[in-house]
Amino acid sequence: MNPHANMIIMSSLILGPMITITSNHWIMAWVGLEINMLAIIPLIAKQHHPRAIEASIKYFLTQAAASSLLLFSIINNVWNTGQFDITQSTNTMSSTMMTAALTMKLGLAPFHYWLPETLQGTTTMMTLILTTWQKLAPLTLLMMINQSLNTSLLVTLSLLSMMIGGWGGLNQTQLRKIMAFSSIAHLGWMTMILTLSTKLTLLTFYTYITLTTTMLLTIKLLETNKMSTAMTSWTKSPMLNAMMMLNLMSLAGLPPLTGFMPKWLILQELTKNHMTIIATTSAILSLLSLFFYIRIAYYSTITLPPNMTNYSQQWRHKNQQKPYLPLMIITSSMLTPIMPTFMMIM
Amino acid sequence: MLKIIIPTIMLIPTTTMCKPTQLWYTTLIHSMLISLLSLQLFYPSLQPIMNFSNHNMAADQTSTPLIILSCWLTPLMILASQNHLSTEPLSRKRTFIITTIILQMLLIMTFSTTDLMMFFVLFEATLIPTLMMITRWGNQMERLNAGTYFLFYTLMGSLPLLVALLSLYSNTNSLSILTMQLSPTMLKNTWTNSMWLLAALTAFMIKMPLYGLHLWLPKAHVEAPIAGSMILAAILLKLGGYGIIRIMSTTNFLSKTPYYPFMILALWGIIMTSLICLRQTDLKSLIAYSSVSHMGLVTAATLTQTEWAYTGAITLMIAHGLTSSLLFCLANTNYERIHSRTLLLTQNMQLLLPLMGTWWLLASLTNMALPPTINLMGELTIITSLFNWSNTTIIITGLGTLITAIYTLHMFSSTQWGELPQHIKIMAPSHTREHLIMTLHILPMTLLMMKPELIWGPLYC
Amino acid sequence: MVNVVNFVREHWVHILCPMGFVIGCYLDRRNDEKLSTFRNKSLLFKRELKPGEEVTWR
Repeated sequence: MNPHANMIIMSSLILGPMITITSNHWIMAWVGLEINMLAIIPLIAKQHHPRAIEASIKYFLTQAAASSLLLFSIINNVWNTGQFDITQSTNTMSSTMMTAALTMKLGLAPFHYWLPETLQGTTTMMTLILTTWQKLAPLTLLMMINQSLNTSLLVTLSLLSMMIGGWGGLNQTQLRKIMAFSSIAHLGWMTMILTLSTKLTLLTFYTYITLTTTMLLTIKLLETNKMSTAMTSWTKSPMLNAMMMLNLMSLAGLPPLTGFMPKWLILQELTKNHMTIIATTSAILSLLSLFFYIRIAYYSTITLPPNMTNYSQQWRHKNQQKPYLPLMIITSSMLTPIMPTFMMIM
Repeated sequence: MLKIIIPTIMLIPTTTMCKPTQLWYTTLIHSMLISLLSLQLFYPSLQPIMNFSNHNMAADQTSTPLIILSCWLTPLMILASQNHLSTEPLSRKRTFIITTIILQMLLIMTFSTTDLMMFFVLFEATLIPTLMMITRWGNQMERLNAGTYFLFYTLMGSLPLLVALLSLYSNTNSLSILTMQLSPTMLKNTWTNSMWLLAALTAFMIKMPLYGLHLWLPKAHVEAPIAGSMILAAILLKLGGYGIIRIMSTTNFLSKTPYYPFMILALWGIIMTSLICLRQTDLKSLIAYSSVSHMGLVTAATLTQTEWAYTGAITLMIAHGLTSSLLFCLANTNYERIHSRTLLLTQNMQLLLPLMGTWWLLASLTNMALPPTINLMGELTIITSLFNWSNTTIIITGLGTLITAIYTLHMFSSTQWGELPQHIKIMAPSHTREHLIMTLHILPMTLLMMKPELIWGPLYC
Repeated sequence: MVNVVNFVREHWVHILCPMGFVIGCYLDRRNDEKLSTFRNKSLLFKRELKPGEEVTWR
C-alpha cells in the first residue's frame, strides 16, 4: 500500500475510537464510529483475494446497518428528550435500539454472524485489530449509557452469546474462527456485568485484550492457522508452544491463571445481586469454550511425538525473536495474584 | 510452612540448572529432604490448635497428614518414573519433574490454606499440572479422552461450588475456616440451603469420587503414566475428602436429610465397585475401582459427621493413599516388562520376579486391611461409626470388606500364580530402585501403626 | 584452589534448596514474631516470659 495512504488510514483508525471515547455529544460519537469503520475497510481488503473482499463487504454492510440504526435511535432520543448528551439517553425505545446497534457493532449474539466470516477472511494481524481495538468504541458507548440500559435484555443477550460462542467454536478447525467465537463468548461476560458494574466490564475487557493479543501473536509467530498446522507447530518454537497451552487455559478461565480473575469477580458481583442461577449458568457455559481451547491445546502441545523427529521440520520457517512475547505471556497467565491491587486502582 | 514451600519452589531452578547426568538423583535427594523436613509439622499438630504459619496458612490435625503425604509422594514419583521417561529427551524430563514439583507445591498450599476461596482456587489449580501429566505423558491415544473426562467432570462439579462459596461470602463476609466455625450460618432447613449444600458437596463428591460420578477415575488412572496414577490415587482423591470435612465442619446444618442421597450412593458404591473389580481384566482399572470402593467408605464416614468417623476417614485416606500408590507402582513394574495391563498376560510373576512377589503379597494384605496396618484401623473405625449411625449399614460394609478380600485375592493369585504365559521370552530382573519404592511405601504404613495418633485427626486432642 | 572452584562449579545447584529453607525459616520466624507481638497487645491472651524462656510464642 502507498505509505501516505497507509498513514492516513492508520491514523484515522486510531482517531475514530478516540473521538468516540472523548465525545459527550451523540453526533461526534457517531462520527468517530464512522471514521473508524471507513478506515478499516481498506485494511481488511488489502490482500487481493476474494475472501478478503468478501470479508470487507460483510464488515461494511453490518457496520453500516448498525451505524444507521444507531443514528436513527439517536435522533429518536433527541426528538423525545431534546438533547444530544450521551449519558442522558433516557428514552426506553431508543436505548433498546442503541443496545441492538452497539451489540451489532461489537458482534454480540444474535448479531454475531459477520464476525467469524470477517475474521477468517483477513490476516491474523487484522484479526487482532478487529477483536481488540475495534471493540473499544462501541463498548465505551455501552458503558456510557449503562444507566438507561435494560438489565434483563443485556443478561439475555450475554447468556445467548456465551452459548453461541461456546457451541459455535466446537465445530471449527480454523484458529481465527475459533478466536472469533471466543471473542463472542468473552463479550458475553462483559455485557453480563455491564449494568451492575462498569468497572468490572473494563477489567474484563483489559484481560480479554491481553489474552487475545498474546494468543493471536503466538498464532502469527507460529503460523498456525488451522488445527492441522497446530500439530507441527512444536517444531518451530517448543517453549512458545508449551506456553500457548497455558495461554489457552487462561482464555478458558481456569483458576490460577489470569483469565479466571474477571470471571471470579463477575460471578461474585452476580451472586451479590442475588442472580445465583444466572451466575451458575454462565459459569457452566464457559465450559463449552474450554472444550475447544483444550482441543487446540491437545493438538499443539499435548500430543507431541514421544521422541524428537527429524522429519516434519518446517525449515522454511523464519524464527523471529519477539522480545515482547514472553512478557505478554507472563501477563496473560499469572496476573491473578495481584487482583487486590487491581481492585484498588480500578 | 514457608520453610517447606520455599525449598519446594527452589527445587524448580535446581531442576532446570543441574547437570544432565545428575538430574534424577539431585531432584530425588532434595525432594526427599523436603519431605523429611515436612515431618516437623507433626510436632505442633499434636496440640489441639491450628499451627499458624502466617495469616493465610495453617495446619491442623486434619491437614497435617495429607501435607506430609503429598511431600512424601514427590520423591517416590520421581523414583518411579525414571524408567518411563528414559527414552525422552532431557528437556522433557526436566519439564516432567517440574510438573511434579509444581503439583506438590500447589497441594501443600491447598491443604494448608485457611480461606475457603483460596482453597477453591488451589483445588482447581492442581487440575492443570495433573492434566498435563495425564495427557502429555500417558501412553495410549485414549489419554486425551481421559484428560477431557477428568477436566470436565471436575469442573462441572466445582463451578457450582464457586458460586456456592461466593454466595456464602456475600452472606457472611468472610470465608476463613477459623472464623466460620464460630458463626452460626446456614442452620435452617430451607430449599435454598439444601441447594447450597448440594452445590458445595458435588464438587468434592466428584473428586472423591462418589459412585455414579466416578467414571472419569478409571479412565484417568488407566491412561495416566505411573507418576500420574500415584499422585491421583494418593493425594488428589483425598482433596475431595478433605474438602468435605472442611465444608462440613465450618457450616453446621441441622437437617441431615440432604445427605441421604450421597450416603446411599456411597454405601451402594462400595458393593458395586467391588463387584466391578471382580470382573476386571485390566490391572490398573482394577486398582482404580478398588480406590472408588475405599473412597466410598470415606465419603460415608465424612457424611455422618461424628468424631470417630472423621478419625476413620483421615486414617483411611492416608492408608489408602499409600496402599493404592504402592499397587500402582507394582502394576507399573509389570507393565514396564510385559507392556500390557491385562491380567491374563501377567500370570505367575512370582516365579520370574520372586522378591516382587513379596511386595505383591504385602500390598494385597494391606489392601484387604489385615491387622498390623493402618488400613484396618481406618476401616474398623469407619465401620463402627457407620454402625452407630445406622445398624443396618453393617450388612453393606461387611459385604464390602468381604468382596474387597475376594478381589484382592483374585488380583494377587492371577498375577502371582498360575500358568507361565508362553509369550514371555525374556524379562528384565527387578531393580533395586523398584524395591526402594515399595519399601518407602510399606515403611510408613507399618511405622504409623506404632503411633497412630499422628494421623488420627481431631479425635486425639 | 582449582579443585574448590571446580567443585563449586559442578555442585552449586545443590545450594538452592537449602537456601530456600533458610529464607523460609527466616520468614516464618519473622511472622511468628509479628503474630506474637500482636497477641501480646491483647489483655486476654498476653503472657509474660517465664524464667529461662526467650520468646513468647512457644
